[in-house]
Amino acid sequence: MASLAHPQQRQFNPYSENGGTILAIAGADFSVIAGDTRQSEGYSIQTRYAPKVFRLTDRAVLAVNGFAADGNMFVKKVKQRLEWYRHAHAKDMPLRAIARLIQTMLYARRFFPYYVYNILGGIEEDGTGAVYSFDPVGSYEREACRAAGAASSLVQPFLDNQIYFKNQRPAPGTSHPVHLPLPTVLSIVIDSFTSATERHIEVGDGLEIYVVLAKGRNLQGLEGIRGMQELTVTEDGERVFVVRRELKKD
Amino acid sequence: MNTFVQRFAGSSASKELLAGNASITEDEDFSDAAWGSEAGFGSLARGVPSFMVPSVPDPASFLRLHTDDHADPSCRIKIQHGTTTLAFRFQGGVIVAVDSRATAGSYVASGTVKKVIEINPYLLGTMAGGAADCQYWETYLGMHCRLHELRNRERISVSAASKYLSNLVYSYKGMGLSMGTMICGWDKTGPAVFYVDSDGTRLKGDLFSVGSGSTFAYGVLDQGYRWDLSDEEAQELGRRSIYAAGHRDAFSGNTCNLYHVKENGWEFIGNYDITTLHYDGPGNVAGSPGHGYGYDLRVEGHSSANPPPAAAPVVAAQA
Amino acid sequence: MSIMEYNGGSVIAMVGKDCVAIASDLRLGNQALSISSNFQKIFPVTDRIYLGLPGLATDVTTLRERFRYRVNMYTIKEEREIEPETFAHLVSSTLYEHRFGQYFIEPVIAGLSKTPSGGVKPFIAATDIIGCLNFAKDFVVAGTASSKLFGVAEGLWEPDLEPEDLFETISQSLLNAVDRDAFSGWGAIVHVITKDKVTTRTLKGRMD
Repeated sequence: MASLAHPQQRQFNPYSENGGTILAIAGADFSVIAGDTRQSEGYSIQTRYAPKVFRLTDRAVLAVNGFAADGNMFVKKVKQRLEWYRHAHAKDMPLRAIARLIQTMLYARRFFPYYVYNILGGIEEDGTGAVYSFDPVGSYEREACRAAGAASSLVQPFLDNQIYFKNQRPAPGTSHPVHLPLPTVLSIVIDSFTSATERHIEVGDGLEIYVVLAKGRNLQGLEGIRGMQELTVTEDGERVFVVRRELKKD
Repeated sequence: MNTFVQRFAGSSASKELLAGNASITEDEDFSDAAWGSEAGFGSLARGVPSFMVPSVPDPASFLRLHTDDHADPSCRIKIQHGTTTLAFRFQGGVIVAVDSRATAGSYVASGTVKKVIEINPYLLGTMAGGAADCQYWETYLGMHCRLHELRNRERISVSAASKYLSNLVYSYKGMGLSMGTMICGWDKTGPAVFYVDSDGTRLKGDLFSVGSGSTFAYGVLDQGYRWDLSDEEAQELGRRSIYAAGHRDAFSGNTCNLYHVKENGWEFIGNYDITTLHYDGPGNVAGSPGHGYGYDLRVEGHSSANPPPAAAPVVAAQA
Repeated sequence: MSIMEYNGGSVIAMVGKDCVAIASDLRLGNQALSISSNFQKIFPVTDRIYLGLPGLATDVTTLRERFRYRVNMYTIKEEREIEPETFAHLVSSTLYEHRFGQYFIEPVIAGLSKTPSGGVKPFIAATDIIGCLNFAKDFVVAGTASSKLFGVAEGLWEPDLEPEDLFETISQSLLNAVDRDAFSGWGAIVHVITKDKVTTRTLKGRMD
C-alpha cells in the first residue's frame, strides 16, 4: 500500500516506439517502397516479421513507421476510406488525392497524434512515379526519395549521394541522369538496408520491397529478380509487385 | 450589402454552416470516416473541422509532454522547427522569400520544403513553426477565401483573410498550435503584408522576418530596404537576406524560394541554392551582382588569412 | 542542449590499402550560430599520425596542447617516434585521468605503424569521451554527424582502396553526412597518409 504522505504523480503514456526503417524512391514510370520487418521495443525484438509496407490500391503503396499499434490502425482506416471511395465513385482514388486524405486524417488527430511517419509511394494520374512523405501531424511534400524511421539519418545521406548525386560533379560533357533505371534503384535500396542493418540495432530480419509499375510499362529489369511476387488486382492498369529478402538477424 | 441580406434572410450558406456546426457534435466519432470524397477535407465541408482530443484532464499538457522538444529533447513526436522567412512591401508590390530547410534536432530532415503556401493566385502565406499547422490552416483559409468570393462576388482583402486566420488560431490558443506566418497579397488598398501567429498576434506592416534565422535576415533587409526599390533591387534584397540567414543559421539553408506579388497576383521568381549563391551568385537574373555573395570570395587575395587561390589549392570533390 | 553539440563538428577516419585517411568539417559554431569556417580539428602528431578532436572547442585547444606536450616528452625519453598503437593508449589514458570531470571530446586517431619487415600497416582508432578505445578495421566516426557518417560510410567503403579512391570515398562520406547535420559543415579538410607522404586537400562544401 503506497503511503499517502508522499505526493504521487501519474502520466498517461499511450505511445511506444517500435523501431525499423522505411524508404521510398520514385522513378520516371515506377515507384519503389521498402521497409524492414523487425518490430522491437527497447532492446527486445517483439517479432521478426511485422510488415510496415502495405498495398492500398494497384497504384498506391503506404509505408508506416513509428508506433506499430498506431500505424496498423491508421492503415486500416486509410484502407476503409479508400474502399468507401470505390463504392461512391466506382474507381480507385488517385495518388495525389490519397496524399491529401492522409494529411487530413493525420491532422484530425492534431491534439492526440498518431505517432507514425508515413511514406506514400505510387503512380500519379499522369503516369509518373511519385513519393509523398508525411510528418506525424500531416505536413506533406512530394519528393523523389525519402527514408524515415530509426535509421533514417543513416540512410538519407547515402540516398542524397546515390539518387540525387549530391556532392558529385558529372564528368565533363555529361550530366547526371534525372531518373534512375529500376534495377539500379533496387540495388541501392538493398544496399541501404544492409548498411542500416549493420549499424542500427533496430533494423534487420527481413526486407519487403514493393514496386509499382506505371500502366503499359513492361517488366524490363524485374523479371529475373529473386523472391518476386505479383500483387496486382485489376487488369490493364498499374501493376504492383513485392520482393522479399532476408536481412541479418543479429 | 450581400452579407447583410444573408445574415437576416437566413436561407443560404450561412444557415447551412450553422446547421453543419450543430451536427458536428453528434457525429464527432464519425467525422474522419465520411463517405466518398469531400475534397479530401472530410468534415470540413460541413463547416468547422473537428479534432479528436485525448480523454485526460488537460489535453494541452498531454500534447506538450509528447511533442515539445524544447522542454524534452527526447520526446517522441518531433515537430519540425527552424526556418527563415521574410516578406516586405515596396513600391512594386510584395517580395516574399523563404529558405527550404526543416530540422528535427540536429538532423536536417528536408532541404526541399515549400515554405511559401500558395493560398490562391493572389494570396501567399509563409510557413514557420509547425509545418502541418501552417499547411493545413492556410489551405483551409484558401477554401474560405473562395467561399467569400462566391458569396460576395469580390476577392477577399488581405486584411480580412489574415483576420480570418488570426481569429481561427486564436480559438485554439493554449492547445499547442505553433505558427508564425505572413499573409501577403495585393487588394484594393494595394500591396499588403500581415504577420499572424498562433498566440493571436496580428500585425500590419511593411517588413517582417520570422524564424530562427530572422535576425540575420533583418540585418541585410534593414540595411538595404527603401520604399522606392526597383523590382530587380527588391528581388535581389530578398534573395540576399535569405542567403545571409542560410549561411549563418544552422537551422536555415539549402535553397531560397522567391516570390513577387504584383497587382495581378503573385509570380514565382525562382529557386536558388544557398551554396550556389555563396560561390557563384544567383546567375543571370534581374538584380544579380554578377558574383558570389560569399565573404571569403570578396576578400580573397586581400588578407593573409585568406591568400590567393594559388597558395591554398582548392580541390572540389569529383565522382 | 547537449554540450557535444555546443560547437558542432565531425571527424571520420578510414583504412585503405597501405594508406589511411582522416577528414573533418571546418565549422565552429555557437549553438545555431556559425562563427568560423576555418576551424581546425585535425592535428598532426608525428609524420605518420594524425589526431582528430571533434567536440567542445575549448577542449580541442586544451587537448591538442596536452598531447603535444606528452608526445614530445615520450620522444625525448624514448629517443624514437611514438607508434600509432602506443599513441592511442596515450589518448585513452589521458582521457581516463579525467573520468569524473571529462573533456568533451571524442578523439579519432589515424596513422601508419611500422612492421618488422620495414613496411607499413594502416591503423585507425577512436575513443569515447572517457577513453574507451575502439580499434576498427574499416572506419571510425565521431562528432555531431556520427550517425549520418556511419550510414554513408557503411554504404560506400570497401576494403583495400588505393589512396586516390580512398580520398574520394572519405570525401563523399563526409560531405554527404555533414549536409544532413545542422551542426557540421561549412567546408571540409581531408588528409591521406601514405608510406612516403601526406596529401592534404581542402574541399569546397555547402556553406549553409
